[in-house]
Amino acid sequence: MRSLIVAAAALATGAFSPALAQDAYVVGITAALTGPPASTYAPAVDALRIYIDRVNAAGGINGKKVNLIIQDDSAEPSKAAANAKKLLTQDNVVLLLDASLSSTYAPVVAEAKGAGVPLVFASSVCPKEVYPPANEGQFCTTAFASTYDSRAALAFVKETAKEPVKIGFAAMAIPLSRGEMEFAAKQAPGLGMTALAIEVIPPPTADYTPFATKLKDAGANWVFSWAPWVTQVRTFEALRRLDWKGDYIAWSHLEAEGELKRIKDSRLYVVGANALFEDKLPIQKEIADAAQKAGGKYPPEQMTEGWIAGMVIEAALKGAGWPATPAKIQASMQNLKVDLKGLRGGPIEWTKDNHFRTKQYYRVYKWDGSKVALVKNWFSYDVK
Amino acid sequence: MQLAVNIVVLSAIYALIACGYVLIYRVSRVLNLAHGELMMLGAYLLLATAASFAGNPVAAIAAAVVLSLAVGILVYVFLMRKMTGEMVLAAVLTTVALGTLLRGLMVLIWSAQQQYPGQALGFANPAIALPGGGRISTFAAILVVTTALVYGGLFVFLRFGRWGVRMRAAGQNPLLAAQRGINLHAVYALAWGLSTLTGSMAGMLIALDSGLTSSMTVIGLKAFPAALVGGLDSLVGALVGALIIGAAEVLSIQYIDPLLSDVVPFLVLIAMLIVRPWGLFGTREELDRV
Amino acid sequence: MSRGMPRASGYFRTDYAQDLALTQTRLERASLLAFAVMLAAFPFLATAFYLDLACQVFLAAIGALSLMLLTGYAGQISLGHAGLLAAGAFTAGILFREFNAPFWVTLPAAAAVGALLGIVFGLPSLRLRGLYLAVSTLALHFVVVYLGGEYESKRGYSTGIMIDAPTIGGYAITNGRVWYFVLLVAAAATLLICINLLRSRTGRAWRAIRAHETVAEALGINIAAYKLLAFVISSAMAAVAGALFAYYRHFVSVEAFSLFLSIQYVAMIIVGGMGSLLGALLGAVFVTLFPYLIEAALQQLPNAQSYAGVLFAVNYAAFGVVMILFLLFEPLGLVGIWHRVQHYFLLWPFKHRPVAGAGK
Repeated sequence: MRSLIVAAAALATGAFSPALAQDAYVVGITAALTGPPASTYAPAVDALRIYIDRVNAAGGINGKKVNLIIQDDSAEPSKAAANAKKLLTQDNVVLLLDASLSSTYAPVVAEAKGAGVPLVFASSVCPKEVYPPANEGQFCTTAFASTYDSRAALAFVKETAKEPVKIGFAAMAIPLSRGEMEFAAKQAPGLGMTALAIEVIPPPTADYTPFATKLKDAGANWVFSWAPWVTQVRTFEALRRLDWKGDYIAWSHLEAEGELKRIKDSRLYVVGANALFEDKLPIQKEIADAAQKAGGKYPPEQMTEGWIAGMVIEAALKGAGWPATPAKIQASMQNLKVDLKGLRGGPIEWTKDNHFRTKQYYRVYKWDGSKVALVKNWFSYDVK
Repeated sequence: MQLAVNIVVLSAIYALIACGYVLIYRVSRVLNLAHGELMMLGAYLLLATAASFAGNPVAAIAAAVVLSLAVGILVYVFLMRKMTGEMVLAAVLTTVALGTLLRGLMVLIWSAQQQYPGQALGFANPAIALPGGGRISTFAAILVVTTALVYGGLFVFLRFGRWGVRMRAAGQNPLLAAQRGINLHAVYALAWGLSTLTGSMAGMLIALDSGLTSSMTVIGLKAFPAALVGGLDSLVGALVGALIIGAAEVLSIQYIDPLLSDVVPFLVLIAMLIVRPWGLFGTREELDRV
Repeated sequence: MSRGMPRASGYFRTDYAQDLALTQTRLERASLLAFAVMLAAFPFLATAFYLDLACQVFLAAIGALSLMLLTGYAGQISLGHAGLLAAGAFTAGILFREFNAPFWVTLPAAAAVGALLGIVFGLPSLRLRGLYLAVSTLALHFVVVYLGGEYESKRGYSTGIMIDAPTIGGYAITNGRVWYFVLLVAAAATLLICINLLRSRTGRAWRAIRAHETVAEALGINIAAYKLLAFVISSAMAAVAGALFAYYRHFVSVEAFSLFLSIQYVAMIIVGGMGSLLGALLGAVFVTLFPYLIEAALQQLPNAQSYAGVLFAVNYAAFGVVMILFLLFEPLGLVGIWHRVQHYFLLWPFKHRPVAGAGK
């Protein structure tokens, strides 16, 4: 109770004294650290925190520390809006990050735009606004991207399949996933595949078998799913329980590497833009060491996404110089190239009208009977 | 055939959860809206015991079952007992508050990550081919059998068991029951314990079958129309209600629109409330008692 | 239920005009005025973040007042309040997106949709009571949210429907201070409507229904009509609050109207104190600010940043605990505490009220 009173007092005195300009780069992030979809975002934010701590320990950027302020929105849009408002008006952040469900975008974008602060989507799906011609204030470092991902997955299916492909789709009942699966279903016939029904599955479902039964009964020999990991993997497992013998391709979310090892099925493919830790790159070892030293809560293979966000933010702040204003950071980000040291197929490159990347690279992995193995090495699409 | 199996499995899930609602309502006229959370707590308890009884899955499951029974009794003793004699609404809202508290605590303790108690216990979950072409996973089959056993056991217990008769008496007329020397608090505590136990078993089996995330509570809420459609004070009703809701959900996935599966239970519920609010097997007087 | 005690130390009213007046004593008028001045001065002193908090409180207050009318006075339990807010927000969003309708069209439209839904939500109340009614409103919540989600998906607004700021005579309301006053006026208007409704025949009918339906019917009150009226008025208010929320936040999406929101509104009227408009206001303030209080409390602890990940869970748990504590130990809510404090000062140096009748 006493601490509550102290807190109330702190809250009350804070009401009338705006935060003073700090001697550091103040970066704010609203993230789904808790709530149903947290497993996609929380590890990335943890990785970002560890990365920034490391940067600070090494002397900061341009001689200044980075003050990363993390706010949890538990994937609720109204909470995200309040977070964004607080970060922008109370903490005076010069850069805002969103690592949460797509339903938080609208309010956060509105707040950031109103304050004239650039907004980076990190570990949350890239919205259309960052593709060329990009909205001047929105940027994205996240691996997954609508339309390109489906093209990559379908191209892989076409190349791999030996028989005529009859492909089914599994979406989660959120607009984004549904939209992507509808796009893929429209693309499939053009590649000589028969597109079957799209199963739209509500997020908490007691039993995935009824949905799987429909896919199987439709005669699918391939199934493609681009949805949060839970939906992808539970649909797959339900299909296997029904003795379905087909091939399944899913998006390679943070959990993918661990899950491939758990499931051990050689016909479950994951397509993604990040290199898995099976590659044992020097940078991955660096991530693992840093995570261990900082006492990270999540396995290192889930930290790639947040690490990449950290590298990009470091580069953006370095380019903006000191003292940094939102406008300077935005200008710096509009002309940015970050070498990701093998974590992805190529660099993140932002230009005036492309805030996504100029080339999007993909890889496909699967379990090959003894380990997670590369099936198809980097292939890319030009982003126009 | 597979369609029938799917209906049976989903109905069994709902039935096993729904009997928890009925047990408590029948005895104390309280609707336990924290049932979904208590069910998830059961699943997490299994995860915890799996870690401490490594290599001994039977002991882990037994410990989790006993713990969940204890949780139910403790909830009554420390919380719901204080609400006896209060407005029914206050009691229901207390369960809502309890649910909120539990959800927060569970995320604090076990995080929101996906967990696999089946893996922790070293269980595989192979599918079984049924005669007639259907297939069912091992744990789904166990769940169906468990539901049958639980309902059978409850029928016998309530019909012939000394405490079962007491529970029925307390439900019918608490005042007279108390005058006959029945310890109402013990009866209520027992109802809470049994309800949490059956709910937890459902939670554990679902988690063993397909993994455990913090969104499981919603499944508990979806089972609740089953209890109401059948009649909140009838165990047979819960069974039939679960079958109706399960069938409606699976059939709408198969033949209409998979998206509907989320609202269909509630649409059936609304229809039922309009036509026959006390449910298929419920007693009509119930309406006036609340 | 505790009746609001007049703030004069006794009952001194001698004619109806005095009974109808909103304030009784000079001190009451003065303190009301002081409070109004404080409210008017607040936006010029506070930072943008605290302005936002105040706006959230006002929005919550409208919703809580409407729920208080329905549950606290008419005795009809609703667990579907978030569904009504969603309906209002979506009405505004859809009309804006599809027809580019200005706010003076969308707000009344939201109220109309709310009123219509009020009839739908209220129809079960003619047959059902208590729990069963609560359950039917819960079911309707899911239906409304489902329909909203379908609209979002079908029209491709996957990240929510964006709404532009409302404009009056070419001036767009974007400024936080202007919003503060807009929402303050909206909340104050809602409060006045509620006060006057409750002082009228309608309010008395509702209380009679809540106290005892059969007796109320014997008194010649048309139960069905008044129950439906309660639902209609309450739902229309809630829908307007939803529409205002949509304009204030510039967006609408189903995820903003979860079941937890309904629970929060129920919590507001419990924590505030059932059957009291002041309770609804206090509850709205408390429930809205509570998460920020917890956050500020955690900030006091050393190594605060590492708690960010558990903050939501702590909030959830603490929220549950507070609700339980109020239900167990203070059923009259914050307003009960407020009245006890008042009594203490009014009766000082005595401890107990005079025996009924002795004071007149």
